[in-house]
Amino acid sequence: MNAAGISVWQIGSVAVQVALCVVGAPLLVGLMRTVRCRLEGRVGPPVRQTWRDLRKLLAKQRTQPEQSSFFFAVAPVVLVATTIVVIAFTPMVTTRTALLGGSDLFAIVFLLLLGSVSLALAALDTGTAFGGMGSSRLMAIVALAEPALLVAILALAAPVHSSSLPVIVAGSLHHPMWLATPQRLLAFGAFVIVILAESGRLPVDNPATHLELTMIHEALMLEYSGPDLAFVVLGESLRLTVLLALLSNLFFPWGIATALTGVSFVVAIAVLAAKVALLAVAVAAGEVAVAKLRLFRVPELLAGAFVLSVLAVLSALVIA
Amino acid sequence: MTNHSVAAALLALTSGTVLLCAALALWRRAARGIVSALRVQGYALAATAAVLGVQLHEPLLLVTSGLLVAVKGVAIPMLFGRLVRLDPASSETDPVVNVPASLVAAVVLTLVAFVATRPIVESVRGVPITLVPFGFATVLIGFFVLVARRKAVSQMVGLLLVDNGIGLVALLLTTGVPLLIELGGTLDVLLVVVVLRVLVTRMHAQLGVLDLDSLQELRD
Amino acid sequence: MTALLVAVALSGFAGAVGGLLARARARVVVVAFFTIAASLAALTVALDVLRTGKVATLTTTQVLPFTGVQLRLDALGALFVAVTAVVATAVSIYSVGYSRHHPMSRSSACAFATFVTSMLLVPAAWSVTTFLFAWELMAVASLALVLTDYRRSADVRSAAIWYAVLTQIGATTIAFGLVVLAVKTGGQGFTTMALHSASMAPWLRGAVFLLALTGFASKAGVVPLHVWLPKAHAEAPSAVSALMSAAMVNLGIYGILRVGDTLLGGGPSWWWITVIMLGVGSAIYGSIHAATSTDLKRLLAYSTADNIGLVMIAIGTAGLLSSTGHQSFAALALFAGMFHLVNHAVFKGTLFLAAGSVQYATGTRDLDQLGGLFTRMPIASTIFAFGTVAITALPPLCGFVSEWLLLQSLLHGLSSSVSVSVVLMPLCVAALALTGGLTAAAFVKAFGVGFLGIARSPAAEGASEPPRLMNVGAGVLASLCVVLGVAPIAMVGLLNSVVRTIQTSGGSIVSSHGEALAISDAKGVFDPTLIALALVTSLLCVAGVRRVLSRRHAIRRAPAWGCGRELQTARMTYTATSFAEPLQRVFDDVLQPSQDLDVSHRGESRYFVESVRFGTRGGDAFERLLYQPVFSTVRRLANKARLLQNGSVHRYLAYGLGALVVILVFAR
Repeated sequence: MNAAGISVWQIGSVAVQVALCVVGAPLLVGLMRTVRCRLEGRVGPPVRQTWRDLRKLLAKQRTQPEQSSFFFAVAPVVLVATTIVVIAFTPMVTTRTALLGGSDLFAIVFLLLLGSVSLALAALDTGTAFGGMGSSRLMAIVALAEPALLVAILALAAPVHSSSLPVIVAGSLHHPMWLATPQRLLAFGAFVIVILAESGRLPVDNPATHLELTMIHEALMLEYSGPDLAFVVLGESLRLTVLLALLSNLFFPWGIATALTGVSFVVAIAVLAAKVALLAVAVAAGEVAVAKLRLFRVPELLAGAFVLSVLAVLSALVIA
Repeated sequence: MTNHSVAAALLALTSGTVLLCAALALWRRAARGIVSALRVQGYALAATAAVLGVQLHEPLLLVTSGLLVAVKGVAIPMLFGRLVRLDPASSETDPVVNVPASLVAAVVLTLVAFVATRPIVESVRGVPITLVPFGFATVLIGFFVLVARRKAVSQMVGLLLVDNGIGLVALLLTTGVPLLIELGGTLDVLLVVVVLRVLVTRMHAQLGVLDLDSLQELRD
Repeated sequence: MTALLVAVALSGFAGAVGGLLARARARVVVVAFFTIAASLAALTVALDVLRTGKVATLTTTQVLPFTGVQLRLDALGALFVAVTAVVATAVSIYSVGYSRHHPMSRSSACAFATFVTSMLLVPAAWSVTTFLFAWELMAVASLALVLTDYRRSADVRSAAIWYAVLTQIGATTIAFGLVVLAVKTGGQGFTTMALHSASMAPWLRGAVFLLALTGFASKAGVVPLHVWLPKAHAEAPSAVSALMSAAMVNLGIYGILRVGDTLLGGGPSWWWITVIMLGVGSAIYGSIHAATSTDLKRLLAYSTADNIGLVMIAIGTAGLLSSTGHQSFAALALFAGMFHLVNHAVFKGTLFLAAGSVQYATGTRDLDQLGGLFTRMPIASTIFAFGTVAITALPPLCGFVSEWLLLQSLLHGLSSSVSVSVVLMPLCVAALALTGGLTAAAFVKAFGVGFLGIARSPAAEGASEPPRLMNVGAGVLASLCVVLGVAPIAMVGLLNSVVRTIQTSGGSIVSSHGEALAISDAKGVFDPTLIALALVTSLLCVAGVRRVLSRRHAIRRAPAWGCGRELQTARMTYTATSFAEPLQRVFDDVLQPSQDLDVSHRGESRYFVESVRFGTRGGDAFERLLYQPVFSTVRRLANKARLLQNGSVHRYLAYGLGALVVILVFAR
């Protein structure tokens, strides 16, 4: 322990989280792709194909549209960097995180928003119709998802009077009864819908499509190629990973290390990987069953998530 | 953890589901989806009665619960299912109030229910009573469905939402309506549904659609 | 300190006189010199008051007849003075650059100095007459400034009329409310009024509050009294819009706090629920319009209504919690609201000044005509980008901190388990979140469509950097966005002393914990400095990795993908109208736009289209549904009244005689 009260384990946990996510995120996307293929009766690429693709992209030359400016070049970096900051701030392995001042749920929402905004600006910077289309749709969805997201956070934060992530996670660890209360179930529903919308999964956006007119995220990154594309793809998969990790720790916090010992640390890492993989498989399996919504039906979905989150807050207060 | 708190959590869960199903009925456009929301609501209502029955050691409530399963969980949704098959166009393609606005309205109505029932809830603290707002909100949302939806099937669903909401409020307030009243109420509703079904079938035969707007022509 | 107060007034009015007298070339420099001097003096006093908590007073019987002038600057007023002073300094610097090609007229030079001085005096006024005098002076001076370009178009004149009408209605209700209060408490000094107002009948207190609220809300641009805001802000020169939006609008909030909390000493919860509901409506309505506007300055104006709505939510929550006995949570909400107000002044000032630079360089503020400005005017664009990040509440700039504080205050309001707040707080969080999301959409549109991509018109094609002083003025405010966002602890002490003037028993709920913000009664701290540091580190590392990985090849510039078409033209890119289309469709019921689609076919066949014209007109629904009926009623009544007026001088004299007799009979 040094003067600031931060131990080696705490610093280590941050480093491990970041390393684990950067290495694991593409694998997670690969896993989801494989699961989906298998369920649809196809063989599909191996799980590590995503990493191979990234390596191939990284070796290529960077290209940039003629009309674009500095923003186009910087957006992939901003996307990856903000997501890494979110990963560092999220207590995934231990509740006794070193970066307490940043591990706040509201702060994390705004950090993730920074990534989305930078990508949306970069898409407009290309000066093409597709970029504008993707950007406009992304911002519409982000704007409408925000109320559901923040009110759902309110439902989780209200019982512990704090939006600090370690406090919320520790709170639900101390009161296992909280895990199955209606407010958590409702908030879980709202969170799942918002996460699907924010990470561009079905039924909001189809990650497997490459048809320009129907897509959102693909339209945004249409002009990227080579290392820049690799960074955008990595950023998006990191974002999905951190969202799933958040979901698993908020609603199924078992296994997270509350003491700073080696054993609990290793267990926590293993449990975390298992939980996130399970959630990812569940999402992939769900994607086989649903169809993509029309763009103008998405507000209905998000309004539904908003209803869920308001009901979550109200039931949190009724029961308290 | 005491038995009491488990019962409290379960009651919150079941009555929360009743309200959630009301919101789902607004959310879904497909008639089939709306009817299945109604079915789940019937089961949730029955579960509420069952939990209350076990908690209060009241065997009559268990009987009520069984009745609710039979009527609201099975019989009524089945009648609706036939109706939906009769007219494939009974889904809400163009509601009076669009879906996102309806959902926001549902949120506002729920908040209103919470404010309105505050005096009741604050006079008696304790779990069954604090859940009363859920029932009131269900009633209000049911009314809203009547206002905001066009198709005959949705109208009947709205009516049943109102009834289920009243049923929930009654269950929670009196911690178990006397069996006879509940029996009468449920059978009444069943009767109403049967009558409405006959009417709607007639309407379908006459007009070929199940759209309430077409009734406006009768005035001319 | 008293001497400095005198210096503020003297220097300000010297600027006004100087503006009238100086020659055209020197006019703007004279005005800017005196306003900056007045602002700096005011800033010194204000910071001293905020830091020490001592009040600065000045009472003289000389200036105004009968009543004299009473000035007293406490911490609440000092905050508003400080904000105004900072904004006015930046705007003055900017104006010097701006006037190089648009020389300042004699009247607007005088009005500019008067406007700034009156805004500096309003928060210090400590009696009804002084307050109303400064308030009216501010209204008249700002009206003259809105009319600066009255020769340009009829829109300017119409905007000025709207502004004049709404601001005068507001001033009337404020005057009426304050006079009632003064009569009932037996004195027109604010101290006397505060002492005796508690003994008034509750309905009368409520009536006074509502009157004042109406007047101050119309100045603050709260929906539905906001109609003047998008018109006046869009048509006034940008420096004036910046002053109005970043400084004057705040004084509406000041008035609500001063009357509601200091003079009436707080009130029942329905007062504050009204304030919250106004805030929620204003925030949502303003942000929807901002997200769908295509006029850059209209967009900024609507976003002012939105941000003022957020501040109203905060002060309403503070009042509500304090009326139900949760003083410390009330202090938190007030702290958050004041912080947001300061931030709003800083970033909205930045954005308006940068928008002014765009208008200066291109002659248009229509986003559909702009584009590609970032490569042509990088400094002004970067300044706008800073404003964008700040207003969108993105880390690491200032909007992020106050948004977080607002959310915290609502969260703690929820925990206070007051029955009303239980229902209101989720609503407020939802409003805050929706406005946050819509603001992000609005400003991605403003920056992305306006500054990035391809230039959409020859005007944008030929744009270049504005004069350096314009960038300096805007840059001052932009750098404050960074400072407030990265080191918000600098504000903790100052804002706590503001909070203590209203929540006397609350203590300081927000404290600095190292360089982090800590809220007492809550677990966990919030450290914007750490977040900024982490972001910068992470950005540098990731950028470094990319550079290392792709060092082998140079970047290749290639045409963008146009579905096989070779040449990308500006006509193919997304415009602001098309960008806003999804949101416009979602909020159709609120916006009620009128759309017309003209398709003309070729003569030979209906399958070949000759031309398609699509246009949307998105007026303000309130203007159509609320104000037009009122206007037509007034016009009808006025026509009736014309019956009395038949042109005969004898008849008019008879009216005079009649009135005199009536007065003599009844007013014995």
